[in-house]
Formats: sequence, structure tokens, C-alpha cells
Amino acid sequence: MGEADRRSIAAYNYPRFDEYVAAGGDTADEDAFRASPWAGQRAPDFTLPRLGDGAQVSLSGLWQSRPLVMEFGSFT
Amino acid sequence: MFIYTREAHPGENVGHHDSFERKLACAKLLAGEAGIGRDILVDDLDGAMHRAYGLMPNMTWVISRGGRVAYKANWTSAANVEAFLGRFLAGRAGHSPGTMPVMYETQQAEFRYTDRKRFMQHLARNGPRAVAEFEKAQQLWAERAAT
Repeated sequence: MGEADRRSIAAYNYPRFDEYVAAGGDTADEDAFRASPWAGQRAPDFTLPRLGDGAQVSLSGLWQSRPLVMEFGSFT
Repeated sequence: MFIYTREAHPGENVGHHDSFERKLACAKLLAGEAGIGRDILVDDLDGAMHRAYGLMPNMTWVISRGGRVAYKANWTSAANVEAFLGRFLAGRAGHSPGTMPVMYETQQAEFRYTDRKRFMQHLARNGPRAVAEFEKAQQLWAERAAT
């Protein structure tokens, strides 16, 4: 992992919410949402590990046969 | 499907992720405490999927069969998602003879209802620092709104 990757990971996983807001991180996130694919556009495909069994699950494998509902979240 | 992202309000008990192993451990803790019955996928440490879908902390997206975006909401309202799915599936299936379903796009603003007490309990679960930092952020938002 290079220095740029380490910086990117540290910025994404901010340790303090108030500092993130003070730096405009929250408004940048709102902008990122508005810039994300719109209805009718092709959804980005990812393959991620499933909690529990660690199986690699591809989104395209899931939406191939039926609609896929995805909720993003954390503890809060 | 639930996609586990970064911790939006890290604190002393549930902190920010500095390794994928820590992120996995937090996801397991959340699954157990919140009783999430759906499959949980864990995004990578750099949030590649979260970034691609727009970085908001509690979004819901619906992807139609075949892989096109059918619905995106920057905050989750279970009632709204359920209502949309009902309309979308019925709309695709039900049409009268001589007509055919043609997809079109909408953009709407809607209301969701937050449970402030429950949210503060979740912040406290992450740690006193998460509560204090959210209160500071509220002051920042108020200052922004005043300018």
C-alpha cells in the first residue's frame, strides 16, 4: 500500500466527526451523492465479502434475476 | 442487503476503522446488537463501493433486474422504499392491452421521521466522544445556516 492509499483510507475513515464537518466533509458527501449514478443509469458493480461466511458476493450476480435493495449504514 | 460502511460517528467504544480486521469486527458487533437479519456485505477499507454510490451514511438504493438504478435516496425511509417497490413492480407487470410499460425518471423531496432519542442512544453506544462531537457539529450547522 502506497502513501496515497494510506492518506485516502485515513481521510475516508475520519476519527472525529466534528472536525470532518468543520472541514466540509459532510457537504462534500452530499455533493458526491448528487454526482452518483441517476435513475436509469447502470449501477456500479462490486464484489464484497459477506459477513458470517466470508463468501465473495457480486452485486451483478444478485440483480441478475431480481431487484436488489441495498441499505448503507453503520452503528449510527 | 445491508452494506457496512465507515463509522459515521466514531467514539471510544466503536471507533474509526484503521484496518479491515477492525472493520469486520465492528460489522459483526453491529449485526449482533442491531439484529440485522439481512445479509451484510462489508465494503473495503477505503470505501470503494460507498464512494461510488455517494458517501451518505444511511442511503438506500434499489437496482432493477439487469443492473440499472431504479431508486436512490440519500436517507433511508423503510416505508418509502416499500411503497416504491410496490409501485415499481406493479408498474412493470400491470398494463392494459395495447399499452406497454415505459420507464421514466422522477426526482422528489420527501419527509422521513427521525427518532432523536434512539439516535442519541446509538451515539452514546459509540462513546461519549461521539455525543460531544455531534453536539459540536450541530453548532457548526447552526453557524452555517446563519451565514
